[in-house]
Amino acid sequence: MLSRHKVAVVGAVVCTFTAAGCGVGEGSGDSTTAAQQSVSAPAKLAGTITFQTWSLKNDKFTPYFTQLIAAFEKSHAGTKINWIDQPGDGYADKVASQIKSGSLPDVVNLPPEIAYQATRPGALLNLAKSVPTLSTDYVASGIGAYTYPGVDGSYAFPWYLGTDVNYWNKDILGKAGVSTTALPTTNDQLMAAAKKVHDATGGRDYLISRKPGLLDFVAAGVPLSSADGKKFAFNTPAAAGVVDKYVSAYKSGYMPKDALSDTYLGNSALFEKSRVGWTTGTGFFIKDLQGKSPTLAPKVIGSPVIGTPPLYAQGISVAAKSKNLPLALEFAKFATNNTNQLAFTDIATGFLPGTTAAQTDPRFSKSDGTAAGNAAVLAAKALPQAKVIQPPTWTEAMSTYLNQQLALALTGKQSSKDALDKAVSKANSLL
Amino acid sequence: MRSHRWFTPWLMVLPALAWLAVFSLWPAINTLLLSFTNVRTLSGGKVVGLENYRAMWEDDQLRDALVNTVIYMLVCVPLLTVLPLLLAMLVEKPIRGLAIFRTVLYFPVIASAVVVAVIWQWMLDERGVVNGLLQQANLVHEAVPFLTGRWLLLFSAITLTVWKGLGYYMILYLSALGNVDPTLHEAAQVDGAGAFRRFWSITIPGVRGTMTLVSILIAVSAMRIFTELYILGGTTGGVGGQDVSVVMLIQSSVAGADGRLGYGAALSVLLFVIAVIPMAALARINKKASA
Repeated sequence: MLSRHKVAVVGAVVCTFTAAGCGVGEGSGDSTTAAQQSVSAPAKLAGTITFQTWSLKNDKFTPYFTQLIAAFEKSHAGTKINWIDQPGDGYADKVASQIKSGSLPDVVNLPPEIAYQATRPGALLNLAKSVPTLSTDYVASGIGAYTYPGVDGSYAFPWYLGTDVNYWNKDILGKAGVSTTALPTTNDQLMAAAKKVHDATGGRDYLISRKPGLLDFVAAGVPLSSADGKKFAFNTPAAAGVVDKYVSAYKSGYMPKDALSDTYLGNSALFEKSRVGWTTGTGFFIKDLQGKSPTLAPKVIGSPVIGTPPLYAQGISVAAKSKNLPLALEFAKFATNNTNQLAFTDIATGFLPGTTAAQTDPRFSKSDGTAAGNAAVLAAKALPQAKVIQPPTWTEAMSTYLNQQLALALTGKQSSKDALDKAVSKANSLL
Repeated sequence: MRSHRWFTPWLMVLPALAWLAVFSLWPAINTLLLSFTNVRTLSGGKVVGLENYRAMWEDDQLRDALVNTVIYMLVCVPLLTVLPLLLAMLVEKPIRGLAIFRTVLYFPVIASAVVVAVIWQWMLDERGVVNGLLQQANLVHEAVPFLTGRWLLLFSAITLTVWKGLGYYMILYLSALGNVDPTLHEAAQVDGAGAFRRFWSITIPGVRGTMTLVSILIAVSAMRIFTELYILGGTTGGVGGQDVSVVMLIQSSVAGADGRLGYGAALSVLLFVIAVIPMAALARINKKASA
């Protein structure tokens, strides 16, 4: 028979365990309700809200936000916007802590993948319910970035968007006899050009220096998920074929040996040192290069990316549990209206506004005839077709595991098929 | 009048007990409880029994992590138990400029582990100074993959750990050597015992307790290896993630808005269990040797 002490200890452990079980199993019914409520602005807005950006409080952007907030406060007397900015490192963790502790700012700048995680506990307001003009005021690709399979609604105002353009070093291509007027438009042509560069320079220069990834699978027409969108399913023969091409290129020395390491300098950095002949970048890449590497910039030309242009989106979301939802929603709309977005992208060069009205603005469709101007127009033209490549359920841990498996495939330690099978299996187990 | 009641001593230790309960005991219990759930950072979970422990069994990265951790321990424990003792014997002699030697040897201990690891990363990189020197001296034709080779990265990290730990354990041995009676050495010398004989029969028994302590400390810290591998291998355990450690797996499991806190907790419980094994083994060996 158990002694009284033992009974007490066992009882305490059972109670603690039960309590912990209840704690972790708390539902999110209230939160979901909050996320799905519709909000209408009263005749007069009042009170204070907090607005959080991500790595934007600096010499370049602070004056813009100060003016933006002042303009809003002036047109809505009695309101106050507290602007806070979080350094970029570990932003997802910071937002997660804010959601857990119930201190998510009223208006918050989020990329699509973090916004998706925030929708799970119902932390963000479904804007589709409260903003009838959402789909007409903002570009479809931007709204699509914040609309998730299995989740009803849309969870951010598309703010500033970016997509990639291919960039080529004319000198490296010229030396290898690769035409600069008929640049590669498929992965096969890219690999063939990589071989030419390798052979022409005796293996000193490279055209490519990156591992394959989801972008390459999408470019090859491989669906990343199953038809119902519930499981990853990119372990197809076509995807294995894509990886095989990279395996062959790596084995033949068409890319640097250390390209598989996470300490690797990076394709773009090597491009800037003229060690690699091809990279991708935003529409502003050449202009940016003019400051960093003035001798290289004139040798660079752009072309459309191979396959589907990737969409890089930043949005402004509203916290579902904001104590001043009407003000939060109004400020989020104000910060992302066409006028303010155009003014913002004037400073955030290389990015494009997320409003439909901006798409017809001549500044994004007319080139000044330079390679830099042409690249900016290429990016703007690609934006309507651009898509967020990574499914919202794709996490950093999955990405890391896929990279690791592909690295093992490229070094010949396992087959491409095994690498993809393992990556898909792991990703599905992490869902 | 009685000035003390039976509970007076308990009142005295109550703050310490409360501190212990809140900051040590509860986190440990909570970790154990979490290990039976599938709770994530931003989504509530439920009790899943031994599911996390079953998942560990199928985790191929955990197998790599355990192999790496055991190798780390098996190499670091003897090296960091013996080398600092030899160093301590060297800097124990009353010679000119002794303080400078001691300071120089202790310097790596003071330096931040992260800073040191970053500097070593620069040195060992394929375009780093070590490869540069080796190639200039025509000792190698291709860069040595110190940071990208499966075993080379592990041994680079072990070398860094040993280099950084030497000074710290040397200090522990210095104080232990100070307690060895010098008359024993003198008597042995008179009896004709050589340096090795005196080291084996007088010094070693004199510092045996410290050696056990040092071995246990190294074994436990080797089990928790993180910074060296994390920085040298580029945060995800080198090419293919084959140089990952158990702590790195815990960190990557719980990080981010989608962190798997339940699985991370189960890994922590496993780490605790495997860290206890070398401690118990070394303590037992020491007990037998002392008997």
